[in-house]
Amino acid sequence: MSALSDFRIVELSESVCGEYCGKLLSDFGAEVIKLERPACGSPTRSLGPFAAGEAGVERSGLFAYLNTNKNSVALELSTPAGAATLGRLVARADAVIDDHAPGWLKSVGLDPGTFQDRYPRLVLCAITPYGQDAPADRAHAEDLNVFHASGWGYHTPTAADDNKPPLKGPGRFLPSYEAGLDAALCVVAALYGREESGRGQFIDVSAQAVLASRVDYVLGQLVAGDMEATPRRTVFDLWGPATIFACRDGYVYLWLSERGHWAAMRQLMGNPQWMNSFPERWMELECTPERVAKCRQEFGAFLKTRGRDEVSAQAQKLGLPLVAVKNAGDLQRSPQYVYRGFFAELDHPVLGTAAYPTVPYKLSATRAKIVRPAPLLGQHTEAKLAALSGTTAEAGPARAGGEHHS
Amino acid sequence: MSNQARGGPLQGVRVVELTRVWAGPFGGKLLAFLGAEVIKIESLGSLDPSRGYGGVKVNQAPGFQAVNPQKLSVQIDVKSKEGRALVLELLSKSDVLLENLRPGAIDRLGLGYEAVKAVKPDIVYVSMGMYGSEGPLAYQTGYAPSFAALGGVTFMVGYEGEPPAGMNIRYGDATFGTAAAFAAVVALMHRRRTGAGQFVDVSAVETMSSMIGDTIMDFTLNGRLQVCDGNRHPEMAPHGVYPCRGGDWISIAVSSDQAWRELADAMGQPALAEHPHFRTRADRKANESELDRLVTQWTLRHDARALAASLQQRGIAAAKSQNSIDLISDQHLWQREFYRTVTGGAGQSRPIVGPAWRMSRGAAVTDGAPQLGEHNAYVLGEVLGLSAEEQRRLAEAGITL
Repeated sequence: MSALSDFRIVELSESVCGEYCGKLLSDFGAEVIKLERPACGSPTRSLGPFAAGEAGVERSGLFAYLNTNKNSVALELSTPAGAATLGRLVARADAVIDDHAPGWLKSVGLDPGTFQDRYPRLVLCAITPYGQDAPADRAHAEDLNVFHASGWGYHTPTAADDNKPPLKGPGRFLPSYEAGLDAALCVVAALYGREESGRGQFIDVSAQAVLASRVDYVLGQLVAGDMEATPRRTVFDLWGPATIFACRDGYVYLWLSERGHWAAMRQLMGNPQWMNSFPERWMELECTPERVAKCRQEFGAFLKTRGRDEVSAQAQKLGLPLVAVKNAGDLQRSPQYVYRGFFAELDHPVLGTAAYPTVPYKLSATRAKIVRPAPLLGQHTEAKLAALSGTTAEAGPARAGGEHHS
Repeated sequence: MSNQARGGPLQGVRVVELTRVWAGPFGGKLLAFLGAEVIKIESLGSLDPSRGYGGVKVNQAPGFQAVNPQKLSVQIDVKSKEGRALVLELLSKSDVLLENLRPGAIDRLGLGYEAVKAVKPDIVYVSMGMYGSEGPLAYQTGYAPSFAALGGVTFMVGYEGEPPAGMNIRYGDATFGTAAAFAAVVALMHRRRTGAGQFVDVSAVETMSSMIGDTIMDFTLNGRLQVCDGNRHPEMAPHGVYPCRGGDWISIAVSSDQAWRELADAMGQPALAEHPHFRTRADRKANESELDRLVTQWTLRHDARALAASLQQRGIAAAKSQNSIDLISDQHLWQREFYRTVTGGAGQSRPIVGPAWRMSRGAAVTDGAPQLGEHNAYVLGEVLGLSAEEQRRLAEAGITL
């Protein structure tokens, strides 16, 4: 068994944040019942990457990634019969995860303000771009907008060029993954608290706030007045020579902030003459733009002919935090990822066998595990709905407060 | 407010932190925000470096205060023999240990998992390392932007056709801390159900990779490497950040033909919606540079915030790219109590960055970051049961300074 295998979760989510939240729970063994539109399924099924670039309900790599270990039940929620079935599913669930716009939950009979009258033990979590109380001028948002409402956009990249637009971050969904992670934390914490209290609760996750929280070290100083807020795009930046450099075969990232790093760099570079004109603690005490520029220029010239993996391994052994800038292909070959088993081979009936990225934490007693690929649309409709009427042995134990087993 | 009665789902859980700077403290902060009692072990001889940043006194360090609200601080010199014994005693009465020291450091302190397990068999022991605690590269070290570089994030952030520029340098630590907090709570649940503790090994680099999971899938399924694409999106166009009046920027994401028709109308050029270059998403993707030029010509004349509001009325996803002034004056974030005012150890009030969530049965979050050793008496006296005399002796011997 795994850490969450006693829990049943109904997933109403139809976008990345809620599906990712559900995945984080299903990979720890929670029984996640994902409700999908009968005709087309979850909208994430029509988002790429598609296997061999060919679209199709069962061909989305995005859906396959986000829905491992889950059960798919095709259910039309807009009909009275569908709504009644949802009610029965929810009555047997420990938690419900949703990521529709504020107001939608009420339309399916789960009013955040009153659902506890009917389902006192239910943990209901709603993830939205700005929270349940979003003002009217924030009703519509994609991840790009959330990223820019949170402050990350305006301040990305570091050392921004005012003539170029602020950036969106990596890929399409970083804000969604961040929000889904916070939601998963809150849901498991709420379930933990319920063990004692016997009561569920409503959790309102704002993706904007989640992302803004990720810069609390700076934002906390800004909001407290310890740091000056200005329209400059460099407000989040740090001084110093840390940056990306080109190598013979790719890029490396150098961090350089203290005397020990400087000494290691000296060793790595073979004690070059130019370093002698720098004070030993220049980074902490006398970090002038001229020195930063000189340091970058010299180190850049040194790196140009070197291989990123060799030079960064050499630097690390000397105590200089130099690392390669890796891409998705590098990750799959990383000896560290292989050692930790970050990739899991998984066979999907349509997508075939592929190495799926898993989760960044290893729990010695209850490892997160992918035991089943993402479901085909409606694959579990019959089994899960039959279980509702109690006609099969599949039905999990109807658990009451405090009744647990290992 | 008493730390035992703040409510919240993790009320009654005691967390001990041996953490530094940002990622570890952030994880502890989330657990504190969920109601746990989080005790940070510090000492004059081995301060969290963030207590020293900014050239101010240890109790006024702004970065430390930003990341450590709602925690307790006890001074114990973990490097001394007696100090180590005190830490083990405290851990025997705790539920979670959270550490993000350098690789191997916790073992050298004699506080590795086996040592702690010996005094507290069901401890949830959370170890945070750049590459995790074991493996061929576990010896390597780095800071947040190193995590992002190694995890595949940096490679994808940048302008089309240019070398990677990466996320802002601050990205990475807080996400890593959140992954650790989540894993800790999962392990607590397992312990609740089975009585068993465990070792939780969290990798910063893998945390970064999990923020680009779908990109990695594209590689594993199709062998395709996604590279820097500015602000482009394979399923939307226009999708970008456009210049406005006064050096401001607006983010606009058009996810349907309907939204595109509305945008063309808002631009005063409804005919664009039927133009063969822009009619369908595929058309717009194929002519994206031309499209972006037209949108830019139009946004340049407008105020970013007003424009976002008017596009919202038309159902278009738009938002001002918020600068730091916008961020701290964002009324919505104040109303949600994402920003809230708390009381510090010296009685001063201070605005902090609070929880990103709201819970109907959440924990009270009312306290600022602790002063160094603010809770010595509570931890040494009430939790460990040491007499006042014994506490005095320990302080005089330099163990609890």
